[in-house]
This record gives sequence, structure tokens and C-alpha cells, in this order.
Amino acid sequence: MSMHVYENISQNNTGVSLSNMADKFPIAAVGGVKLTRGRRFPTKRLRSQGRVGVRICLPLISNPTSSFKRYTSRVCSVRGVSSWRGRPTKMTESSATKLLNGDACHRTLHGKNASKNGYVKNHCLFQQSQKYRRAREKRQNATTNPSLYQKPFVESFEETPLLVAVLTYMGYGILTLFGYLRDFLRHWNIEKCHVAREREQQKDFVPLYQDFENFYTRNLYMRIRDNWNRPICSVPGAKMDVVERVTHNYNWTFEHTGTVVKDVINMGSYNYLGFAENTGACADAAVEVTHAYGAGVGSTRCEMGNLDVHEELELLIARFLGVESSMAFGMGFATNSMNIPALTGKGCLILSDELNHASLVLGARLSGSTIRVFKHNNMQSLEKLLRDAIVHGQPRTHRPWKKILIVVEGIYSMEGSIVRLPEIVALKKRYKAYLYLDEAHSIGALGPQGRGVVNYFGLDPKDVDIMMGTFTKSFGAAGGYIGGRKELIDYLRCHSHSAVYATSMSPPVAQQIITSMKIIMGEDGTSLGADRLRQLSENTNYFRRKLLDMGFIIYGNDDSPVVPLMLYMPAKIGAFGREMLKRNIGTVVVGFPATPIIESRARFCVSAAHTKEMLDTALAAISDVGDLLQLKYSRREQPLASLGWTSEESLLQD
Amino acid sequence: RTLQKSTSALPKSFCAQQQEDKLILAIVVYVKTVCCSLLPTRMNVGVAHSEVNPNTRVMNSRGIWLTYALGVGVLHIVLLSIPFFSVPVVWTLTNVIHNLGMYVFMHAVKGTPFETPDQGKARLLTHWEQLDGGVQFTSSRKFFTISPIILYFLASFYTKYNTTHFVINTVSLLSVLIPKLPQLHGVRILGINKY
Repeated sequence: MSMHVYENISQNNTGVSLSNMADKFPIAAVGGVKLTRGRRFPTKRLRSQGRVGVRICLPLISNPTSSFKRYTSRVCSVRGVSSWRGRPTKMTESSATKLLNGDACHRTLHGKNASKNGYVKNHCLFQQSQKYRRAREKRQNATTNPSLYQKPFVESFEETPLLVAVLTYMGYGILTLFGYLRDFLRHWNIEKCHVAREREQQKDFVPLYQDFENFYTRNLYMRIRDNWNRPICSVPGAKMDVVERVTHNYNWTFEHTGTVVKDVINMGSYNYLGFAENTGACADAAVEVTHAYGAGVGSTRCEMGNLDVHEELELLIARFLGVESSMAFGMGFATNSMNIPALTGKGCLILSDELNHASLVLGARLSGSTIRVFKHNNMQSLEKLLRDAIVHGQPRTHRPWKKILIVVEGIYSMEGSIVRLPEIVALKKRYKAYLYLDEAHSIGALGPQGRGVVNYFGLDPKDVDIMMGTFTKSFGAAGGYIGGRKELIDYLRCHSHSAVYATSMSPPVAQQIITSMKIIMGEDGTSLGADRLRQLSENTNYFRRKLLDMGFIIYGNDDSPVVPLMLYMPAKIGAFGREMLKRNIGTVVVGFPATPIIESRARFCVSAAHTKEMLDTALAAISDVGDLLQLKYSRREQPLASLGWTSEESLLQD
Repeated sequence: RTLQKSTSALPKSFCAQQQEDKLILAIVVYVKTVCCSLLPTRMNVGVAHSEVNPNTRVMNSRGIWLTYALGVGVLHIVLLSIPFFSVPVVWTLTNVIHNLGMYVFMHAVKGTPFETPDQGKARLLTHWEQLDGGVQFTSSRKFFTISPIILYFLASFYTKYNTTHFVINTVSLLSVLIPKLPQLHGVRILGINKY
């Protein structure tokens, strides 16, 4: 089904936006088909009257039939080899690449033809023929426009094996039953109850506590609670010191034993470039600035809290990103949640990715705009939403939207996937929407110069209307920034809640950002920044490849430093965290309801501060624990280990 | 930007209906290396998706229908292995226990076993009413409507349409089919189970 969008170019009932930005920004939504009463689509009568304008032919991002239907929520994904043979022989380049994308590890190399079973022949000497059914891909976000990408975009989300899914549900079922049993025992005072309860006299009143809402916390989370909130007592660099805790009542209370576990390899901190350190140029500069300005500011940006450090920082950020102007805020979460309401309002449309961060969701909800969610990184879904929105306009009145804002992130930290930015930019230009890019995890971590996902894809920063990011991850500081055109930033300086009400950034933090940003840009005179960037990409590639070779299921893009490793079963969440700590490695584990019920995972964050020895130690430990807990679920083919082509020099990102 | 839960005061936090989120600025953010992501939080924090109520999507996940069918099968086999029960009794028992379980978990228990950021919209809704956000006639709903009917057919067949068994099975089936009607979405008869 190809939709024809009728653009009403002559009689412009797009309506003038009432917000302050109307004069500064071009009218975004073209919406507004002149409708007759009772009809949804323009009729022949309107066409003959010349009221309806140009016909836009095919959708930009290929036909929505096959690959879009492939994305269903339950039984999904391409069926291995057999379905390919049923495909029509006449193939355009886009469907040829779709064929390629049916693999477990799809590549979008333009200019190479697919061989018979879909594998592009690479320069590997021995090519494994397919012996058994290939592991299916969970999501087919097929890149059907490979001309937009300069290098291969390789993402994989291998599907959960069915047996593992069944066992996971059984695990949760057993835990639920035991939870009910324990609640029963607690209720009848057979077991000691550590949970807060009402007084005896109030038992007959309307209940004060929603006991059922804490069911998971009481019965599942408490059992494995020692994997989270571990206190550390050193800088969370590549290695850290963890305070040892012991519990005598099964994780309800903890006591410190007094000992400290030293030199735990830190695979959980967002320390991508290794700037979490208390020695070096950054720390010295921060100390100097603390002596000069003190630690606190004591006011907001709009009142007395605008220091010259902030001005210097903002000029530097603008230069770093390649935008006209920028503004820095004291808190990354608040940057999103306080600025999106300033940008959009009632009558605007926000198209947000399924897996967007809580700050983006909160900002969107606070703004009062209509929010529509598209499937994660799925361009067909986004395009469909855009077209529907423009054709139908606002929900009841069918008036055109005042603004359409697409909100995406650079790297999604729970999935490790990178946004398909070239396609989104093409879409946004086509349909005249705005783009809000949240580069919390990707700034400093991606791209040959470390300028983020825009640099990674080689795009023009001017194409992204609002570039947002945080300093928490790669810069070793705190806070967030927004970069864009000068009019936008000037508007935000006056209208953002964070600028008017929230305290501005602390001076030592701002100085830390300035110093670390100069190091990354190479302006401090050393090659430290370039070294770290290269080290990060090498570490990322090495780590990911080794984990894949071992047979784990890893999600995400091959270039993303966030590596989620799938655990699936609830008991393995706790077991993995504890076993890793026994082997002196600190990891983050995540389970339901933070992730979908069968997709609990352990998330590793590779850092430039990790040396190869540390990574090898970590990998050995992960393999050990993987064998112990049977975590090596992957059913894709393993490359022969004897080839010796596992050298990492060949996999430099740039 | 990541948050930290104040678990040192966990008994205290159970007193409050909502837990308190401590937002950490500046250098103290270094302290938080291992972030808490399993704890049910107030604002999707540390959550991998923007779905406010994961209960709406559980029945659509991969493999859950199969698990459910296997569970019913295991129940049946366990009952079959008890020597006192004849085959018709076992089938009736399977049907009744299955329908009882389904009624309790889908139509009696309300709310979610974890805190959701939807400000309590789902607190008074049973799981059936929460499925797919209230949209009727989705595939999960159809599946869970058809499966007790299939069990009923099988039970009727294996009990050889005996009157007593028929009455018991039919009453049990009706108890689990009637709450599934779209007209009874959100309806609480005689105020039972309202709050």
C-alpha cells in the first residue's frame, strides 16, 4: 500500500503557530488537507478544483510491505533460509539489501552482491557454510537505503531461544507462588515481617499501604538486592574499591564488615573516555577553580549565577559540536525534562522512540504535546507515523500540527543500539519535522573525533535542530547541554525552566568539562584525547568480538561501547552479579520490570581506561561464569578460533 | 543523569506510598557505579522502555502462550498420576482448577505487583482489564478466551457428557468467560472487589 500524500501548497491553512518561535522557525507541519465534511481523504472533486496540490509518490524509506510486517510483537523475524527462496526474483537494490539483512549479522555494504545464501563473501579464507538453522533476528529494522551510510551499520538483536523463554516464565511463576506463600506466612505472623505495616488499631481503616504494589520488591528484589547500590570508596575509574557488606537476614539489612575489596574491575561506570580520575590535568584545573570560585554558585543563571566559567564553557561546547551556540545546565536529567516543555506545547506532536530515557518521556509529558511512540529504531514505523500525522492533522479537529518533533537518542544504553541518524535526517527534511537528538551516551564515545553520533555518521551538525547531551558519561563531570542555532539558544536562556529556577553548574564541574573537552579536541597540546578515543574504539571492538566468539547473546551495534549481555532468567540475574563480584569484577544487572519480562541482562560499559589485560581478565571471568550458569545461548555460527584473524589492529574504527 | 535509590532507608521507604528519589549532583555522581535498575521506581528511571505498565505487554511476549499450554498440560498429568481419580474426574478437575486459577489471577487480583509510574491508573483494574491497555479483541485476549473453551470441549468429551460433570464444567466455564466480555470491562457486580 503506498500512500499518496497530498500537499496543499497553494491555500496554506497550516495556521500560524502561536508560540514565540513562530517567527524564528519555519512552519514545520505542512498538514492540513482541505477536507470536505464527513470525508477523510480528498476526493476527485477537490482534485479537479485544483485545491489539492502536488502528489508525493513513493515513501522515502522503501516499501512498507514486507519489512514492516516483519516487525510484529510476538512471533517475528525472518525465517532463516527457507523464506528467501520464496522471494520474487526481481530485486531492486533495496530488497537485495533486505535479503542481506535477514542474517544474524546483517551488513549493508552497497555495491556488493549477495551470494546464494545471502552472505556477502568477505576476505576471510574459510567461510563457514550454514549447517543448522540460523539464529533469528528479533527485530528487522532493515536498512533499506544503504546509500545514506558511509560504513556498514551492523546491529544484532538475536531472538530469545524458545526453551529459555519458557524456563524464564517458569522461574517467574515459581517465584510468584513462593511470594504468595511468604506473604501468607508473614500475614499470619509465622514469619518475621520486615515490611512496614499499620498499627493494629488501624487495620480496619482504608489501607495505608498498597501491599500488592510492593510484591515484587518484597519477594523478588529483596532476594538479590545485594547486587545494587554497592557502596564504593574510591574513584570509579577502571578499577575501584568496593565496601564489603554482609547480611544476616537475607538482604533486609546490611552491615559493613569493615573490609574493602580492592581493585575491583569496574565494568559498570559510564566512564567511556576514562576521565573519572582524581589525578591529572582535569583534577588540577578543577582544584584551582575551586580555590578561585568556591564549590557552590548559590543562584540561577538568570540571576547572579552566570559566571565567566559558564560563558567559556558554552563557547567551547559550541565549537566542539560545530553548532552556532549552546547552553549548559547543571543536571542532565533536568536538561531534558525542563527544556522540552519550553520547545513544544499543546498542539505540537512529539514522535519519540520506544526506548527513550525517562527524562525525555517526562519532558514530553510535561510539555502537554501529543506523544506518539514509534518502534525502536524502526524507520518504517517513524515514516508511517509522520505521514499519518501530516495527513490527518491533530486528533479531533484535524488542524495541522504546529510542530512535529522527533526525539531520539544517540546510543540507547539498555540496548546498545545506535540511532539510524542518516535516515532520520532524510525523513525530517522530507516531512519538515524537527529533530531532537539526545547524545547522553554517544557524545565523546562515538566518532573519529569524538564529537558524537553526528560525527560517527559524517553528517552535518546543522541538520540536527537540537543537539542535547550530558557531561556525566564521557567527560567525567555532571550536567547537560543543548546546542543549536543562536535563536534557539537565546530563546532557551529566557524560557527554560532550568535556566530560570535551577541553580547553575558548579564551577569545578564546569572546569572539569572545559579541561576534558579541550583534551578530547586536542587543544591542550597533547595527543591524549586522540589516544583515548582510539583506545575506546579498540576496546569496544575487542570486547564485543570476544564475547560474541564465546557464544553469548549480545545486543546492539558493533561500535557501541555499551554491551548488554543477555541473562534471561531471574535467578541468573542475582547469580551473575554475585559471581562476578567474587571474581573481582563489578557489573550492572537489570531485570523485569525495567526490561521486558524475558530480557533481563547484564550491561557492561567499556572504557578507554581499561587496558587489554583488564579486559582479558574480565573476559576470562565472564566466560567462567557463563559456563557455570550456562549463559552461552547464542545459536549463530562460531568462527574457527584457529584462524588467527582475531587481531584487533584490523578493526580500528577510523 | 542516572538516579540512585536510597536503600539504606528501605524499611522507612516502605512506609511511604511513593519512594523518594535522591538526585545526586556534581562530584557525588561518581559514587554511583552500579545503578539500581530492578527496583520498581517512580518514573521509569533506569527503565529500558517508555511503557508505563509492563503488565499490558506480558501476555504478548515470546513463548508465554506455549508456557501456559505446557503448564496446563503439566497440571493435567499431575492429576492423572493420582491413583484415586478416574479419567472423567481428572478432566473435570483440570478444567475446574484451570478456571479457578485463571479467575483468580486474571479477574480477581487487581493492580500490578510492582509500582508503575502511571499514577495508579491500573490499581483498580484486574489483569484482564489491563491487557493491551484496554483494547478489546487483541490476539492475547482471543487466545485466553478460547483456551478455557477448548478445555471445556475436551472435558465434556472425556466425561462422556455425564450430567453432574456437565453442570460443574459449565458453571466453571461461565465463571471464567463472563468476566471476559467487553461489556463487563471495569464492571464490578454488587460492588464486590471494587477497591
